[in-house]
Amino acid sequence: MGTAANTLSEIFRTEYGAVFQCNRYNVYWIEFAGGFSSFKFNDFFHLKQTLETIDVKEMAQNPARFADVVVLNPLCSDRCFVLTLTDVLNFRELLQGAKAMMELNSIIYESLHAMAV
Amino acid sequence: MKDLLRLKTSLTEEIETLLNEQIKVEAHSSAVYLAMSSWCDRNGFDCSAKYFQKQSGEEREHMLKLFNYVSDLGGRAVSPEITNIPQEFESFRSVFEQALQQEIYVTQQFNRMAARCMKASDFVTFQFIQWFLEEQIEEEYVARRALELFDVIGEEGTGRYEIDKRVPKIKYHK
Repeated sequence: MGTAANTLSEIFRTEYGAVFQCNRYNVYWIEFAGGFSSFKFNDFFHLKQTLETIDVKEMAQNPARFADVVVLNPLCSDRCFVLTLTDVLNFRELLQGAKAMMELNSIIYESLHAMAV
Repeated sequence: MKDLLRLKTSLTEEIETLLNEQIKVEAHSSAVYLAMSSWCDRNGFDCSAKYFQKQSGEEREHMLKLFNYVSDLGGRAVSPEITNIPQEFESFRSVFEQALQQEIYVTQQFNRMAARCMKASDFVTFQFIQWFLEEQIEEEYVARRALELFDVIGEEGTGRYEIDKRVPKIKYHK
C-alpha cells in the first residue's frame, strides 16, 4: 500500500477478502488469502475470467487428490494462488462482486456527469 | 471514485464476449469455405474452388473487421481456436447447401447480436453491426442463387460443368 494508501478506494468486501481501486496508478488491489497484490485492469479481468472457467463440479466429484486444489499464476504478478473448492467460490464471489460495483460506479459516474436531457 | 472501467474500454463484458464469439464464427466460416474450395478442386470443379477460396478470404476480412473493432474500443480481442472443419462433402450440391446454411447461421448471429446491443443500449456497436447485416443480404443472395443453379440447369450430362462455370458469375445488384 505504502504511499498509495490514501488513493485506495474500497470497491467490494466479503468475509474472505476485499478489492480496492487505486486512483493514482489506475490499478486494482486484491486482498485475499492473507495476501495483498495489485493488478492492472486487463490482468484483473483475466484473473476473473480464469476463475470463472474453473470446473468446480469436477473438483467436487473427482476423488483424485490433485483435483482438490487449483493453482493459479496470474499474469504479470508474483502472486500465486493455491485454491481449494471453497476458496474458488469465495474468490469468485469477491471478484464478481467487485465487477458489479465497478459497473455500478460507471452508471453513477455517467449519471452524475450527464448533461440534463 | 474514478471510472476505471470506462476509461479502459467502451465495451461491456457482455458485448465483448458476443463480439469475440462472432470473431470465432467468422473464422470458422473462413476455414469451412477453404475446405469446400479444396473439395471442389479435388473433384474437378475449378471455378467453384476459386469462388470458395474468395469467400474464405472475405470471411477472414470480416473476422478482422470485428477483431480490430474490439481492439480499437479497448477490449480484449481473442484470436479464435478453430476445430472440427469438415473436409469431405457428400456431393457438389451438398457443398452449396452447407454454404447457404452457414450464411443463414451468420445472419442469425448478427441479428441476435443487434438485439442484444439494442437491449444494452450499446448504439455504437449496433451501428457497427449494420454493415455486416447489409453484407449478409448479398452473402445469402449469392449462396441461394448458386444452389438454385442445380434446379435451373440440372445436374445431368454436362450440367455440373455448366453450374461450376456459372457460380463465379453470380452478382448481387443493390
